[in-house]
Formats: sequence, structure tokens, C-alpha cells
Amino acid sequence: MQVMTVFQQGVWALLLWPHLFTASTPLDCREEQGGLSRCPTISQEKLLDRVIHHAELIYRVSEESCSLFEDMFIPFPLRLQTNQASYTCITRALPIPSSKSEIQQISDRWLLHSVLMLVQSWIEPLVYLQTALNQYDQAPDMLLNKTKWVSDKLISLEQGVVVLIRKMLDEGTLTTTYTEQGLFQYDLQPDMLESIMRDYALLSCFKKDAHKMETFLKLLKCRQTDTYNCA
Amino acid sequence: MMKKVGEAVPLLLLLFFMQHRGGTCYSLPGKPTQIKCRSPEKETFTCWWEPGSDGGLPTTYALYYRKENSEVVHECSDYRTGGKNSCFFNKNNTSIWVNYNITVVATNALGSTFSDPMDVDVVYIVEPYPPENVTVAVMGNKRWPFLRVSWEPPRMADTASGWITLIYELRVKLEGEHEWEVHRAGQQKMFNIFSLSGGTYFIQVRCRPDHGFWSEWTSTSTIEVPDFFNRETSVWILITIFIVFIFVVLIWLIFMNSHSLKHYILPPVPGPKIKGFENQLLKTGKCDETFSALVGSDYPPTSMSSYEDLLVEYLEVYVPSEQELMLEETKDMHDGCLKSESSASDSDSGRGSCDSHTLLMDKCGEAKEADLQTEQEGRQVEAEAQRHQAAWEALTYAHEDMVSPDMSGGRVKTWPSVFSPLPQYSSKPLNPLGSLETAKQHCLSDSQLPADCLSSYLDQPVDDVSQVLGSSYSKFCLSNKEPHLLHPAEARRHLQAHSDVNISVVGRKEAPASLKPPPPQPTEYVEVQQVKDEDIVLLHPVSSSHGKFYSNEGEDYSKVKGVDKDKVLLLQREVVEEDMCLCESQETNGATESCYATSIISAAQKPTACINPTLPVQALNGYVDSSTMFTLSTY
Repeated sequence: MQVMTVFQQGVWALLLWPHLFTASTPLDCREEQGGLSRCPTISQEKLLDRVIHHAELIYRVSEESCSLFEDMFIPFPLRLQTNQASYTCITRALPIPSSKSEIQQISDRWLLHSVLMLVQSWIEPLVYLQTALNQYDQAPDMLLNKTKWVSDKLISLEQGVVVLIRKMLDEGTLTTTYTEQGLFQYDLQPDMLESIMRDYALLSCFKKDAHKMETFLKLLKCRQTDTYNCA
Repeated sequence: MMKKVGEAVPLLLLLFFMQHRGGTCYSLPGKPTQIKCRSPEKETFTCWWEPGSDGGLPTTYALYYRKENSEVVHECSDYRTGGKNSCFFNKNNTSIWVNYNITVVATNALGSTFSDPMDVDVVYIVEPYPPENVTVAVMGNKRWPFLRVSWEPPRMADTASGWITLIYELRVKLEGEHEWEVHRAGQQKMFNIFSLSGGTYFIQVRCRPDHGFWSEWTSTSTIEVPDFFNRETSVWILITIFIVFIFVVLIWLIFMNSHSLKHYILPPVPGPKIKGFENQLLKTGKCDETFSALVGSDYPPTSMSSYEDLLVEYLEVYVPSEQELMLEETKDMHDGCLKSESSASDSDSGRGSCDSHTLLMDKCGEAKEADLQTEQEGRQVEAEAQRHQAAWEALTYAHEDMVSPDMSGGRVKTWPSVFSPLPQYSSKPLNPLGSLETAKQHCLSDSQLPADCLSSYLDQPVDDVSQVLGSSYSKFCLSNKEPHLLHPAEARRHLQAHSDVNISVVGRKEAPASLKPPPPQPTEYVEVQQVKDEDIVLLHPVSSSHGKFYSNEGEDYSKVKGVDKDKVLLLQREVVEEDMCLCESQETNGATESCYATSIISAAQKPTACINPTLPVQALNGYVDSSTMFTLSTY
């Protein structure tokens, strides 16, 4: 079999070899306005910018959907404050820096891995949330669309962070490192009376974590450009 | 494995043999070219290619792509969604994080041809759909309407979340124009168009992401703008009217002041004149007189005593008070004359310098120098009695300091114009030639006066300046240009009045009436031509031509013997050749004895018959310039 694959590769290489020399691309890519850049790879800065932009969008949409949900389903006295009930989040067990001092001490590599951990741990719960919201009677379409959008974009973000890690840290792909751990458990919040509260808690936690992702990535970018002035 | 190799080899051999057959000219397919990939919303994308020649055999195309940093080659899974010769990448296969390396392969029975690979970055190939729901409305009031265009982003583009940021552009065209007017609207979805005119407008909108391609233009929306009166136009009309008005006022002002402007811009050039040179004299052929005017022989009496003689002999003429009024008016005339002279340009066409207003102006305006005086005195010596409107400078009365230098050697040319007493002399030191008080000099226009001008030369007594003889002389210039200053009646009066020669004894105005016979001086003389009424004596210059009046050509002179009272001059006539009596009744025939003739004329009395109209006076020792002397004290 190995010989066959080698042979196949060899045949392809033989057929494709004249074009290997034609595709001479410059090492430093210049972004062309026409859109058809001749760069074989996307540069690291561009990639990081896109990832940050992605994370910003996710956070914004999650914030909107959370407030929508709040206005719709949660009476005022039961609304969670920002610093409240963070211990009930599903990702509290993750080895993620949570205070400012910790963040300042963490390395770039660990920042990226933290982001990746966050992203990967939220993919599944969001899918669950999506199905839960669909069962509501009065869930507005906008809320559903937003949550769906967020879950889709989160998957894309994961891909982006993987590529970024590979580029920045020269590491291999770690695609399914954490999602299989099954952080998400239904009975993690036994004191939740209703699924609504559970869903509400889920949305709030996700909003906070999305904000964390964005913050980490921006810090990373800041460290790329100016090492000493980043907080 | 061997089987596969075994399959591949005959295929290759077959291909090889088929190529060498050369029968039906089959060949490898042409290279697919011009791969174009576009993504409408940054989540999926489609690639199209241009097939080359198919080489005569059925050709299939395949698109292979490779993701960045991965050696795995994938094949496009959807060849149908994008149309013919296209490949569609769905959401799962589209990643904004990596580049795609795409190659299209054309395959027919003979072989495969590979296209040039292309790198695609999904973010940069976004070409959105055109905007939707373009609405146009006319807004604003009737006088100033504007168009409001609004639209929505394309449905597929996710601008709500910020996934794609679109900027918009619209273009407007009036029906009948060729050019579109393009406006950039930024990220807003609404735009106002101003500066309209009546008619039909076509509007289109398109959009593009911040990195990407422009979309197609939407279908044309039309809107009808009703005709209205443009407010801009009305403002422009007002401005134009205002400017025209200002312009008209300026033109009118310039027109009103055209004369002064002309003088300011183009000052009049004085004509070439030789002072004292008379063109008329040339024309009449009297060369002697002409050149005599030029010759400034220094012939003045050199001793002071001669001047004293002159003083005595000369008569002063003064203007009675009645004519002083006219003088006053002529004073104004003077000013006016001066002004007019200054304002009017002189063409200097054939007129004497006396009539030349520019020259007059020169004289009027400047102080006389002494040389002029000497020249005049010299002239005086030479000149004949016959004077026309000679090259005299008329001097304005207005300038007192000119009085002394203006004296033409003591000669007074009395035109039929007003004589007026000159103002008191300021104690201005004059040249030793004498503080001759200026005789009145008049310049009269030809047109106004009869051709022959009477000129009487009065030798003025030469006195010291200090004495201030007091007889004042005025100089007038009656300009040609100011005929209106003279009333016709006054003109007549002038004529008449000037025929009244008021001759007063020198120093009449003053207490001391120094009477000395003026030194003899060859001058021109005036003789009484005719005695008109009571007070009028017409004088005319003496010339040989007038000799016919006499039986003999001798010239008679009368010496002023004395002054009897205020009004009477006693003349003593000395006959050299002949006796000429003032009395008409007397006729002497060569009597050599002196005949005393006194002509006493008073205003009240009738002019004596003794007055011989023609009384040539010859300078012997002392002489009377004008044989008739009048005192019009009653004036």
C-alpha cells in the first residue's frame, strides 16, 4: 500500500511537475486590490486580524441574543449580574486565567491554547441551546437566527484559531483535544428550576466567555506589535 | 498494484501511438484559462473557467484544489450549481482562514492539460449581489425640491452582524444626457440629490465590501421631477441685474467726466509757438514786422534818466469805475478764462499765440521774467504802431505779481476792450528797465472784434516801484472760448468803452502826480481817428498808410506840458516838419513854429473840434503816445 500511495503521488507529481515551476510566488505577499493575491499563504497579521474580527462579531451577536432572551423570558428580579454566578458556568473547570494578573503572566502560547479550549468547549453546548430554543413557544425568530449564527461562526472560529496556532506556534493540529471531554453536563446546575433559567445561564456564560476570547486575542495582537505596553 | 500499473502502461502506449498516427488530427485539449472565483457573501464561493480547444475529442474538466499548508488535493464536489464550467464551494468547504490553490484540468482521450494554478483568498474575492428595493422620492418644497434615494443591502450579505461591511454608490442621469453623475454614499442606505432641474431622472445603485469587487448596478429607477423655477436661477438673475446697474452708473460717470479724464490721461500738448512770432504777419507779407518781433535787440534806454523821461511821456490809461464793473466781470472771466484755457485743449491751428489758449495759460500762470520785459521793450522800440493781434501774451489780471513783468515795455495795447486800472503795485523789485506798470494787454478773438484793432500804446511812466504808480493795468484775455462771458451788450459797451480811452496822467491815482515828460522813446503810436460822442475817441494805430489823412507825412508830437487840474492834459506840440494842430480849424502849412495846442476835453464838454482824428505823434523829445487824452473823471 505504501508503494501504491507513493506511486500515486509520484504520478501526480510527474503530471504536475511542469507547473510547479510556473507557480512561482513571492515570499512576501502583497495584497492586491483585485482580490486575487498571488500569495500562497495568508500572512500571520492578516490571519490574526480576521480571527479577532470573528471573535468580536461572535461576542456582539451573543450579547444581542442574551439581551433578547432576557427581555423576553426573564423577570427583572431574577436577572443575573455581571459578576454573579460565574461559578455556575460550565467552563469554570478549565485552566483558564481569570484575573488580570494571571493574564499578564501568561505566555502567548498559553493564551492561544486558552482561546482554543474555550472555543472548543462551547461548540456543543451551543448546539444544545439551539435545539432547546427551538422548543420554546414564543421564541422570536431573531433570537433563533442569532443563536444559530453564533454556533456556526464558532465552528469557523475554531478552525481559524487552529490555523493560527499552527502558524504562530508551529504546532500540529489539535482539533479535538478538549471537546471530547464532555464538559457540558446537564446536571451541572441542579439548582436551576426551569430550563429557561438554565438556558439563560448558558447564554450568559457564553457571552462572558466570548468576551474572554476576544480579549485574549486582542492581547495577543497587542503583544505582537508592542510588547511592553499591553495590559 | 501491479494491475494498476499494468493498466496504466497500455493506456500510455495507446496515447503515444495515437499521437503518431496523424490521421484525424486529434490532439490534447487546450488549456483552460481565465479562472474566475467569486464569493457573494464571504461564506461560499464559485469558480468559473474558460475551456480551451477540445482537440476534437470529448473533453472533461475537473477542478482540483489544495488548501494552504496541506498537501491533500481535493476535487470540487459541485459542478452544477454555478453553471457550466464552474465549481461551487459550499459553506463547509469554505474557509476564510486559508488560501486555496486551484487548478483546472481538461481531459480527453489523449491526455490532460492543466491550467495555471491560482491562489484564492476568499475574503478578497467577495462580489456581493446588487442592493435591493431601491426607492426614489421627490421631497422638499416646490421651490427647492430634492430627490431622496433609499435602498437595502442584498439579501445574502450579512451586514447586520457586521460579517460584511458594504459601501454603496449611486449614479444619476437626466433624461437626454450622456454622462452619469456618480455619488459615493458610504455605508448609509439613503442619499439626497440636490441641484435638480425639471425632467426625468434615472437612478442606479451598487455596492461593494471594503475588500472586494463592485456589484452589478441595480435596474434603473426613474423619477419625474416637475418643472419649477430654480431658486439658484433667480439669485443669479438678481446678481446680474445688480452688476449691470453698477456698470451703467460707472459708464455714466465716466461719460460725465470724460473731459477731465481726457485731460488727466492725455494732457494737452502745447503747440509749437515762438513767442512774439506771428504767423499772420508772415502771411501778410510784412516780413519786417514779423522779424522785428523776433529780434530782441537790446535797445532799451540804458540810463535811468531816460526812464524818467519815459515816465513823463507816457500816459496811463485807467478805467473808470463804471468799467471797473466790467473789469470785475472780466476778472471772473479771467478765472473762467484761465480755467477754460486749462481745460480746453488748443489745436493751435493758425491762430496767434495770443489766441492760443495754452500759451495764454502759460502766461497766465507764470510769473514774468525780466528778459521778457527787455524783449518787449526792445520790441517796443522797433515796433510800429500798426499792430494786429500780435504775439502778445495776454496776462491775466488775476495775478498781481505778474503785473510788473508783464509790461510790454510800457506799451499798452488797447484793444477795444476794457481797460481797467491795475491793482496797486506790490513793492516788488523790478529790473532796472523799469517798473513799468503793465499796460493792459488784451487778447481778443478775431471773431469777436473787427479786424483792425486799435492799439494804442501808452508809454508808461517808468517809476520806481516804490512809488507805486498806482495806475493799474489789467490784462485781460478774452478767450475765444468764452464768448459767452461777454454779454453782447457789454461787448458793445466794451467796444465803445474802449474807444473811450481813459488816459490819466501817470500817478493820477496817487497824491503826488509826478509829471515829467516821459523820456522820448520810439514807440508806436495811436492817433485819434475819430471822435465819436462826447467821451469817445477812436484810436487807431498810426501808420504810414494813414498818412493820407494828412497833407504831409510828418509826424507830429505833442508834448505834455502839464496837467491842468485833474482832468486836463496840456499838450505841447512840437512840430518838426509840419504843423499839425489839434484844432481842426487850424491848418498849418509847413509852419515850423510850434503850435501849442491844448486839448482840453472834459467829459461834460463836447469833444472839441480841435481834436484831429489823425494825429500822428512823432517822438522827438517827448511825445504823447496818444494824441488825445481824456479824462473821464465823471466815470
